[in-house]
Amino acid sequence: MKLYPTIGLEIHAELLTQSKVFCTCSAQFGGEPNSRCCPVCSGLPGTLPVLNAKAVEYIIKAGYIMNCDISRFTKWDRKNYFYPDLPKAYQISQMPRPVCLGGYVDIESEGETKRMRINRIHLEEDAGKLVHQNRVSLADYNRCGIPLIEIVTEPDFHSAQDVTAFFEKIRLMLQYAGVCDGRLEQGSMRCDVNISLAEKGSDTLGTRTEVKNLNSLKAIQRAVEYEIYRQTELIENGERVIQETLHFNDATGETSSLRSKEDAHDYRYFPDPDIPPIIFTEEELEQIRADIPEMPQQRYDRYVGEYGISPTDASVIINNKAISDLFDNAVKAYNAPKPTASFITVELMRRINLGEANAEELPFAAKELARLIELAETGKISKDNRKVILREMLSSGKAPDDVAEELQLWIKEDNALIEKTVDEILAANPTPVEQYRSGQTKVFGFLMGQCNKALKGSASPAAIKQMLEKKLNS
Amino acid sequence: MDIKTIDHLCELSKLNYSDEEKQQVMREMGAIIELMDTVKQIDLTYDDTKDFNSIAFSQLRRDEAAPSFSPEKLLSNTDPEDGCYVVPKMVE
Amino acid sequence: MELINASLKTLRTMLDNKEISARELAKEYYDRIKKYDPELESYITVTDEQALSDADEAQKRIDEKNAAPLTGIPLAIKDNICTDGIRTTCASRMLENFVPPYNATVIEKLKGQNYVLLGKTSMDEFAMGGSTQTAAFSKTKNPYDITRVPGGSSGGSACAVGAKLAPAALGSDTGGSIRQPASFCGVTGLKPTYGRVSRYGLIAFASSLDQIGPIANSAEDCGILLNAIAGADAHDATSSPAPVEDYTALIGQDIKGLKIALPAEFYSDSTDDEVKSTVLSAAKEYERLGAELVQCNMSSLKYAVAAYYLISGAEAASNLSRFDGIKYGLRGEGKSFDEMIRDSRSKGFGAEVKRRILLGNYALSSGYYDAYYRKALALKQLIIKEYNDIFDKADVILTPTAPTAAYKIGEQESDPVKMYLADICTVTVNIASLPAISLPCGYNADGMPIGMSLVGKRFGEAVLIQTADAYQRGFKYEPNKYTGA
Repeated sequence: MKLYPTIGLEIHAELLTQSKVFCTCSAQFGGEPNSRCCPVCSGLPGTLPVLNAKAVEYIIKAGYIMNCDISRFTKWDRKNYFYPDLPKAYQISQMPRPVCLGGYVDIESEGETKRMRINRIHLEEDAGKLVHQNRVSLADYNRCGIPLIEIVTEPDFHSAQDVTAFFEKIRLMLQYAGVCDGRLEQGSMRCDVNISLAEKGSDTLGTRTEVKNLNSLKAIQRAVEYEIYRQTELIENGERVIQETLHFNDATGETSSLRSKEDAHDYRYFPDPDIPPIIFTEEELEQIRADIPEMPQQRYDRYVGEYGISPTDASVIINNKAISDLFDNAVKAYNAPKPTASFITVELMRRINLGEANAEELPFAAKELARLIELAETGKISKDNRKVILREMLSSGKAPDDVAEELQLWIKEDNALIEKTVDEILAANPTPVEQYRSGQTKVFGFLMGQCNKALKGSASPAAIKQMLEKKLNS
Repeated sequence: MDIKTIDHLCELSKLNYSDEEKQQVMREMGAIIELMDTVKQIDLTYDDTKDFNSIAFSQLRRDEAAPSFSPEKLLSNTDPEDGCYVVPKMVE
Repeated sequence: MELINASLKTLRTMLDNKEISARELAKEYYDRIKKYDPELESYITVTDEQALSDADEAQKRIDEKNAAPLTGIPLAIKDNICTDGIRTTCASRMLENFVPPYNATVIEKLKGQNYVLLGKTSMDEFAMGGSTQTAAFSKTKNPYDITRVPGGSSGGSACAVGAKLAPAALGSDTGGSIRQPASFCGVTGLKPTYGRVSRYGLIAFASSLDQIGPIANSAEDCGILLNAIAGADAHDATSSPAPVEDYTALIGQDIKGLKIALPAEFYSDSTDDEVKSTVLSAAKEYERLGAELVQCNMSSLKYAVAAYYLISGAEAASNLSRFDGIKYGLRGEGKSFDEMIRDSRSKGFGAEVKRRILLGNYALSSGYYDAYYRKALALKQLIIKEYNDIFDKADVILTPTAPTAAYKIGEQESDPVKMYLADICTVTVNIASLPAISLPCGYNADGMPIGMSLVGKRFGEAVLIQTADAYQRGFKYEPNKYTGA
């Protein structure tokens, strides 16, 4: 008996608006407890929600990039339940008339392209945060009313890799659309996973469980793998899977029950009488669609097609929006896409991967990176010295010209100095010189390297080579 | 209307009644629901697209953040701790 | 002219001509409140100190000859309208000590004119009821007979105006809560078109039906108050952008040719004979004034009370869920969140509020939603359609405001179904989002006032005020023991 997992997702993503979805409080992350609150988002009696146009625009953009149909008529509902992070005791959400219906996203997983269908995307408000203390829990409502979209997929996923590939793709697309910052460490995106197992080829699905609130790629992968393992064990031991909501414990790597189906909530959804339904015109939707920025795939095509960058480098660049933006802006400032791409993918990405820099918070602007590339391309500094200067730029934020000046990295083309250096190197290495002259020209590289090193980048390789050849052949 | 239904409604409503009160509430709610059953005498379907309360997208609020409220004033009807609302301990 | 019988227009002239100061005017009302309100219990909170300083502010503006229509005019405000720094209770134990940190939009508008706040008036708890006897405190009496109810839920405001403990007041109307107490207390009350007045700061009962409106001595005074509070509000997405008019502008224009519809169902056997005949003689009076009476029908009326209680109950159950004792309001005891909020809510809410919450949750709960709540929404569409059909043939509709005049305290409160059925004359107006005005049209054998209601087209308040005023010019008011002969 081969058990086959079927998985569906609900992904919550916070929208990058200035103000909250139903009031004018700042939608920024963090802040002193309850300092980004007002009578509306704190649920004071008598207050009313007023919908933010930008949040609606953003969910429409999200819908378009995921190939959804946008409803011409949409409305909001109340989802009623009591919880201390929900001051009104209802969450404003959407039930029968979400903004986006249908849709799909293609992903690469397990060596193939898979089309994952989207059921719906709706707009709702986030809840507050609880901090648990010894005796009591404390409620901070700063996050109450941050706009959220909930992306509900069809059960088209069959492995942890399917899930993580999709989540990463969605995250990237939302970032490119300018709709969500995708900062998982700040809880900007969270994923609920519904998993059931059944025999392959069977028409009936098994009992499903739902793992709630996964907020990192690693947690998603581990939770899915653990839940597949746990359910497999149960079924193979002849036990039943119980329909329940689970919590994934990062420390133990296991899931535990939050509530079973028996105490499933009756949310009593009904249309929120405080928020009028909205009707969109075709022109409004067209305008929003036209405002969608370039998506990762389009950038990839441009990098490979227009710039002739290798597919590998192009993938590395587009897979991080901040890096891709840096690249585009650098190329705008100094038009040398290929060296810029290879310098970014090799040198800058190494520093980032080593944890020496953060792609989202680089201490220099794109035009400074462009200047660095330009200095090397125009022979003002050696190509090797680019990485020296980059490290200094990363640690001090200084401009490339200043670093080159301070560290004396300019190529001087001082022929007397070159000649003197070459003479010294040749004198210090009689054996390789002998070998070269007897026809073993391979050692030229070694001698070249020695000269280069001694000159510390102050001469161009061409000038050194010319001098070295002259001396060796004389 | 039976006790089970009243118990379920009390759960949804977060209300407590003594057993004695519950009997009375059950009688009252029975009579009230009977009155509500009047709506079952007419055959009608609701079409939400035919309500006249829709607004245009252009009428929505522009996305501009304004200063928030003073937390002291906002929490003036409760006894806050560390600037937060105090809740009986929630089990994670 | 005696001060307490002066119209708002007259008070304006007296204040502007320095015949009286704003402070003197406010004190006149405080003296009366002190004398009569212990018996009538129309106010929950009296804001005398605040009022006298408000009056001094107003006086400055009057002295600068910069007065707005309500500058220096004392008003009573229903205690479900939030006033910054002033206790707002909804006549509930739940909010007995609740002090809002913000003002309702209507309060901001009135403050912009430098009005004088006399105090906050009693009401049925959370505006649920028609007698002001579901109030947890200040169970208001009827100024024509203190053994009778003042109506409700805005019973405090209606009584205060009826006993001249305020020249005018604001109430709120979800299913008749301005019009019915106005009729019981012999005063005029206007429920504006849904969306005409901002609901921001009105503690919600049923959001799709609630509307703030004036209760005053005349249609003209109602118009003056509506002028001050009407308009779109950035804090209320359901407020209408329709332009605000001068709602007193049509006053005095004759009503010749005006078509007044009398829907037969409102004059059925369930309406008290004395009420029916009094309203029908008022119709005759309109005919005499040149109006044309149109007979019509409203077949959906028999479903209206149920539809109203289903919609309002559902919304109320959700609106009142926020009262859990954590952020504000009565805080109960309990080790867990669940225990604590159950205790808060069980202690904080009275019996009628609890019934409405149970009913609302019943109507919305899984398995019942389609049969009850959704059906009620369908009925709402039918009621709107029937009103539209009537308005194709008529300009205004005339009905009794309530099936009876004010009844004895204790007579109905024990029977919720009887109480609910008494709302039959008023609820369809809220369901259809229409404006309506209730005005006295006679007194019954017990000397209790009888009210009639004029229902208008959406945003047709000016015509309603004109039509009501035309009748009031010839109407003889009976005084009560507080207003004297």
